[in-house]
Amino acid sequence: MTRPLLEVRELRTHFSIGRSGFMRRKSVLRAVDGVSFSIHEGEVLSLVGESGCGKSTVGRTLTHLETATTGSAVFDGRDILSLSPAEFRPLRRDIQMIFQDPFASLNPRLSIEQKLAEPLFIHRLVRDRSEARERIAATLELVGMDAESMSRFPHEFSGGQRQRIGIARVMILTPRLVIADEPVSALDVSIQAQVLNLLKRLQRDSGVSMLFISHDLGAVRHISDRIAVMYRGTLVETGEKRQIFETPRHAYTRRLLASIPRLEKRIA
Amino acid sequence: MSVPHSIALVFRGRALAAVGACWLLVVGIAAIGAPLLAPFDPLEFDPFVRLSDPGWPHLFGTDHFGRDSLSRAIYGARMAILIGSGSVLIALVVGGLTGMLSAYFVRLGHLLMRIVDVLMAFPALLLALVLMTLLERSVLNTIIVIGIVYATTTARIVFGMTLKLKRDVFVDAAICSGAGHASVLFRHILPNLLSPMLVQVSFIFAFAQLQAAALDFLGLGLPPEVPSWGNMLSEERIYVTRAPWLLIFPGALIILSVFSMNLVGDALRDNIDPRFKDDIAGV
Amino acid sequence: MALLDIRNLDLTIARGSELLPVVQGVSLAVEENETLGIVGESGCGKSLTALAVMGLLEGSAARIAGGSIHFQGRNLLALSPEERRRVMGDQMAMIFQEPMTSLNPVYRVGDQIKEAVLQHRSMSGRQAHDRALELLELVRIPDPARRIDSFPHQMSGGQRQRVMIAMALACDPKLLIADEPTTALDVTVQKEVLELVRSLQARTGMSIVLISHDLGVISETCDKVAVMYRGRIVEQASTSTLFSNMSHPYTLGLLGSIPATDHDVEWLDAIPGRVPTLDEAVPGCAFHPRCFAARGSCRTADPDAAAVSPAHIVRCHFPQGSSS
Ligand SMILES: Nc1ncnc2c1ncn2[C@@H]1O[C@H](COP(=O)(O)OP(=O)(O)OP(=O)(O)O)[C@@H](O)[C@H]1O
Ligand SMILES: Nc1ncnc2c1ncn2[C@@H]1O[C@H](COP(=O)(O)OP(=O)(O)OP(=O)(O)O)[C@@H](O)[C@H]1O
Ligand code: SF4
Ligand SMILES: [Mg+2]
Ligand SMILES: [Mg+2]
Repeated sequence: MTRPLLEVRELRTHFSIGRSGFMRRKSVLRAVDGVSFSIHEGEVLSLVGESGCGKSTVGRTLTHLETATTGSAVFDGRDILSLSPAEFRPLRRDIQMIFQDPFASLNPRLSIEQKLAEPLFIHRLVRDRSEARERIAATLELVGMDAESMSRFPHEFSGGQRQRIGIARVMILTPRLVIADEPVSALDVSIQAQVLNLLKRLQRDSGVSMLFISHDLGAVRHISDRIAVMYRGTLVETGEKRQIFETPRHAYTRRLLASIPRLEKRIA
Repeated sequence: MSVPHSIALVFRGRALAAVGACWLLVVGIAAIGAPLLAPFDPLEFDPFVRLSDPGWPHLFGTDHFGRDSLSRAIYGARMAILIGSGSVLIALVVGGLTGMLSAYFVRLGHLLMRIVDVLMAFPALLLALVLMTLLERSVLNTIIVIGIVYATTTARIVFGMTLKLKRDVFVDAAICSGAGHASVLFRHILPNLLSPMLVQVSFIFAFAQLQAAALDFLGLGLPPEVPSWGNMLSEERIYVTRAPWLLIFPGALIILSVFSMNLVGDALRDNIDPRFKDDIAGV
Repeated sequence: MALLDIRNLDLTIARGSELLPVVQGVSLAVEENETLGIVGESGCGKSLTALAVMGLLEGSAARIAGGSIHFQGRNLLALSPEERRRVMGDQMAMIFQEPMTSLNPVYRVGDQIKEAVLQHRSMSGRQAHDRALELLELVRIPDPARRIDSFPHQMSGGQRQRVMIAMALACDPKLLIADEPTTALDVTVQKEVLELVRSLQARTGMSIVLISHDLGVISETCDKVAVMYRGRIVEQASTSTLFSNMSHPYTLGLLGSIPATDHDVEWLDAIPGRVPTLDEAVPGCAFHPRCFAARGSCRTADPDAAAVSPAHIVRCHFPQGSSS
């Protein structure tokens, strides 16, 4: 087997909680406490688990939005966790994140064009504005939006459209790893299906690797190749999608699967 | 949204605030057109008409040097606006930057915000007095001192708002796009601070008037010959029984203007990001 | 006679100077000891319908523009709010959509339950305390004698939702309206809460209206289902009929949008387009811009509700045949 694109070893992210200050004791919250997994080129790995188990923190640590306490994450041969912010910045193009809340993740004061042009100019992928516009138009089309939406502002779009824009912002950089943190859970059911299909198609077409974070087991089954089940900061089980759904080994995985409301076609 | 439309939105159902805005407009016109509007030279002594009653040709009467009070009041509008804008500018630039950088760079914040806390431990007027005694009486120094006094509160407010904005997902999204510190601060955070800061500006503007008047009154603000409403009060205070109008007119001008600015500020406050309403509780 | 009988309910919302229809011609009936599910996407009017039944629309932008709501044979809309509270106050209860904000963070949960109890019954503080304890036990909060003194933030999301249920049950209601009671909870906790609600129903014989956007939750919990789209009920039937004989294109689309967990599908049958906003007028059938079965008359004429079989009502010009 080839070397994985990302190999995470014994990742720990602890937060100190309680007010810091005079005479106050700080306590430590072990949000992520020894997590190891790997993602191969072109593979989708899902991270599932209950609220607060540390899923988002794993994703945010891998994108340097939180600081890892210990552990390593080797991406393309380099441990990204040991890089300084300045050293990590060029790598941001390759490791992109899609956020849960499409209403909060777009700066209300920037037009869609400004928003999408920003990463292009930061990473020097285009020379001038007209080249940027061409690329933006092409990417918007890719996510199923009109090129003319470029000049509009986030509040003029519905939730589903905003999440498409959020996906465009990520895909425009042609990253190698996308971390998608609950990308559809804030959307309506019928819109969720559209966005899930879109993500799956973009992933297939571009061959990008993906860490898909979700608590929705249906979405997870739809999109992933492998699944990692997280419980209170650690992974309790990792396996191929079919294995997890059909022969779960860990008791928590079994409990999770048994809790899914069944959509049975009940006959009277 | 068009400008007239936003203005209509701010003042809809707030008649008092609209009246306040109109009064401020009058003050503004007086300030700009002072040389044309003032019937006399505000600095010219006329020993023959000392302490004359309001009437013709001295509508507001004259002070104990025989200077025309109306003309001094009109030029006073100029001072009011100059001092207001000057202190607002200093408070915003110094305080705004301090607050924003402190919230964004945590370590720097520990240091800077402690200094701000120490300065804020003094009542505003006391702080202004202490600073003023170290400096010469001049228009520029008065503006600087008042600006610094309100830079402390501005820093606190901007600090709180930046902390909230810093946690917004779009800031994370910008960082993930590779945006550097300068871009995150000035392109993503700053524009979202502007409209709440506009509210803050109106309050600083109002309180700067009171501070300036208080400093003038204590003889520590503007040089005494400068025509300002505070100086008019201070210079003529001993004539309160013989010529009460000399105190009533400038006093009323100060009160009206401060009140108007507060009303406008309140109206503006109701139209900003609801998360920030509590931050701008006043100065 | 049905316990709750809503006929042709119309609700409007004031937006500036306009009155926008948000709920149109909704008719629903709930029998004793029955569970009715209302399913639909965000903004389709589920919560407003529930609030109208509870008489909680005063003070909001929404108004009742027509129709009737009968409860135990009495027309609620003919009563003054005062009378209504007096007569109906302890017969109906509601659990609200936001579980985290419905409890006051500064009071102990026990005191909040006690207050709910005292609103309906006059009794001593001691008795109210015992009743609160009993209710906490009923909703299966472990160690209720200790937890009665907890503050809301000291409890988990599922426990807080149980406290909400306990408060709703304080008056032994005949009808419980649960507006998305589990949307904010994990699936494992959701399962526990739904099981609790079902067992309480078996014990008390109350009727339940369960509002949800999750077809799975509805299918597991309810006896009959009403599917709403843009303020109208587009399909209504018993749960078994609905799932075995789905007829409205929107219901079918909703089902196709849900990724299965027991087998793999390559692509989801997503409904194209988006839900129109309230102020966008759609001529003809409100669903036609997104409907796979739309034909000529769909664009011009709004379909009426019609029974495709007894007790299976569909609002569509071209109901789809049996799909199973
Ligand atoms: N910046 C932070 N400071 C302190 N604690 C934090 C911080 N971020 C997260 N936590 C805590 O870490 C734990 C894990 O949080 P995380 O957001 O990773 O959970 P999650 O699995 O993504 O949950 P959800 O499904 O609700 O999004 C939680 O208890 C959370 O309160
Ligand atoms: N107080 C209000 N003022 C103005 N509009 C309102 C108000 N309450 C609801 N609406 C609007 O009425 C429509 C129906 O709202 P309702 O809360 O009933 O939806 P819902 O079906 O419960 O949705 P959700 O699944 O999001 O809870 C929505 O478009 C909403 O924006
Ligand atoms: S009436 Fe026409 S458009 Fe509406 S749901 Fe039926 S087939 Fe579709
Ligand atoms: Mg999360
Ligand atoms: Mg609702």
